[in-house]
Amino acid sequence: MTTFGVHESSLPELFATAALSAYDDAGVDPADIDAFYFGNAMGGQTENDTHLAPTLATEVGLAGVPAQRFEDACATSANAFKNAVQAVEAGIHDTVLVGGVERCTPETGKGTGEMTRIFASASHRQYEQPTGLTFPGVFALLTKRHMHEYGTTEEQLAHVAVKNHGNGTRNPRAHFGSETTVEEVLDSPVVADPFHLMDCCPFSDGAAAVVVTSDDSAASFDDPVDVTGVGHATDLVPLGLKPTLHATQAARDAAAQAYEQAGVTADEIDFAEVHDCFTGAEVLASEAIGFFEDGQGGPAAEAGRTALDGDRPINPSGGLKAKGHPIGATGVAQIVELTEQLRGEAGDRQLDDPQRGLAHNLGGDAGTTVISIMEARA
Amino acid sequence: MSANMDETVSVGYEAWADALRSERVLGVSCSDCGATYGTPISVCHDCGSQDLELVDLPTDGTLYSVTRVAVPPTGFEGPYHVGIVQLGAARVTARIETAAEDNPEIGDPVVLSGVMEADDGHPAPVFEVETD
Ligand SMILES: [Zn+2]
Repeated sequence: MTTFGVHESSLPELFATAALSAYDDAGVDPADIDAFYFGNAMGGQTENDTHLAPTLATEVGLAGVPAQRFEDACATSANAFKNAVQAVEAGIHDTVLVGGVERCTPETGKGTGEMTRIFASASHRQYEQPTGLTFPGVFALLTKRHMHEYGTTEEQLAHVAVKNHGNGTRNPRAHFGSETTVEEVLDSPVVADPFHLMDCCPFSDGAAAVVVTSDDSAASFDDPVDVTGVGHATDLVPLGLKPTLHATQAARDAAAQAYEQAGVTADEIDFAEVHDCFTGAEVLASEAIGFFEDGQGGPAAEAGRTALDGDRPINPSGGLKAKGHPIGATGVAQIVELTEQLRGEAGDRQLDDPQRGLAHNLGGDAGTTVISIMEARA
Repeated sequence: MSANMDETVSVGYEAWADALRSERVLGVSCSDCGATYGTPISVCHDCGSQDLELVDLPTDGTLYSVTRVAVPPTGFEGPYHVGIVQLGAARVTARIETAAEDNPEIGDPVVLSGVMEADDGHPAPVFEVETD
């Protein structure tokens, strides 16, 4: 994957940086790749750039193979990953490239107001967008309800930002490389209450790519890790139709599927990368994947249980909050972090010999969630 | 077939928007299982029935969740409050208005106070926090 931050390169060239490093990492040539599963959420709106799958395939030496593009808001490239894994598992393809790319910074020529409107396009066009609802607003509504139900506090949310910024300083690919404090978070301007600016992930540019291959072929690759479960579920849209707003039910359903496929429980997962587009989203996710009981996500964050040295590490990469969030690249970037942690190649942020990790990639108003479980290869 | 399609449109978004402009909030109710939804859909999520009827929702209720949007999208002037209002058995996303010095809170009583149309001709309900 590329660094996440501000990139001047075009979408094809930015993606090529990630794809070529994935080829190199896996020890494959384009001739070994049978198909291309690709995610980009908003290129049509941000850069007037669509039908990207064959364009990017051409850029990275894959013209001719079946290439498909996925769009599920922030869960875009996790869905590409799911479809790739299932196609390989089913024997349709043997070795495929999976990746995503997005540019969200002012490099696209779009400012904060325009990008806020483009992000809001993932909420219901008829029944939500006309109110002026924004994406910080969507997650604020979920989080406010959680605060109401369980007493979750703004300070607890701020601890998520402090922890993820700390982890980000140990990740050379992170958009933000500086520590922060609870006071700094709470003193930053409000974007949509309870979220301050420092509760929110940044607008980032970046790309990520991985190679997925069959169990039989994996032995001939450099340092593979196993995908043991991929769950994918949806919830009702708009927000008003969701039975319990703060439950993020799609994440619970997707996690149940992934745990069943992998034959494990939440207690057997050593760490997770979760979709912390806003600090509150990490708290909700930590409960939805079963790391903590409902209502305990906030206190757990405050107590340091989700830190690198905690008993339930979450977002060792720095998460979306510090690593950055180029929408269509985020899901595969989580897969990259799981891979590096399981190989023991995560450098200064390396966890203590993790054997099993989980990625939680959420799209839109929590209407889509993909949960992937990966394990070190014995 | 075409008559059927016209009928489908007339009980969906257009009817919802027209009703909202005359200060009625419409949801749909399933004729087979009785489930009620705050915004129109074509198939009942609970039982799969396609026999959904537009129904008037109460125009007063309580705040289920609310946030103050300080950074608005292009086309909107902030800050303002957006909330989800509980209207009987259904919930609807709406603009929330309140006395300037008050922050609306979950559980506050709200009543429909009007309709706004800031987004390319798409109306949105506006609810006001009731003060006593
Ligand atoms: Zn029904």
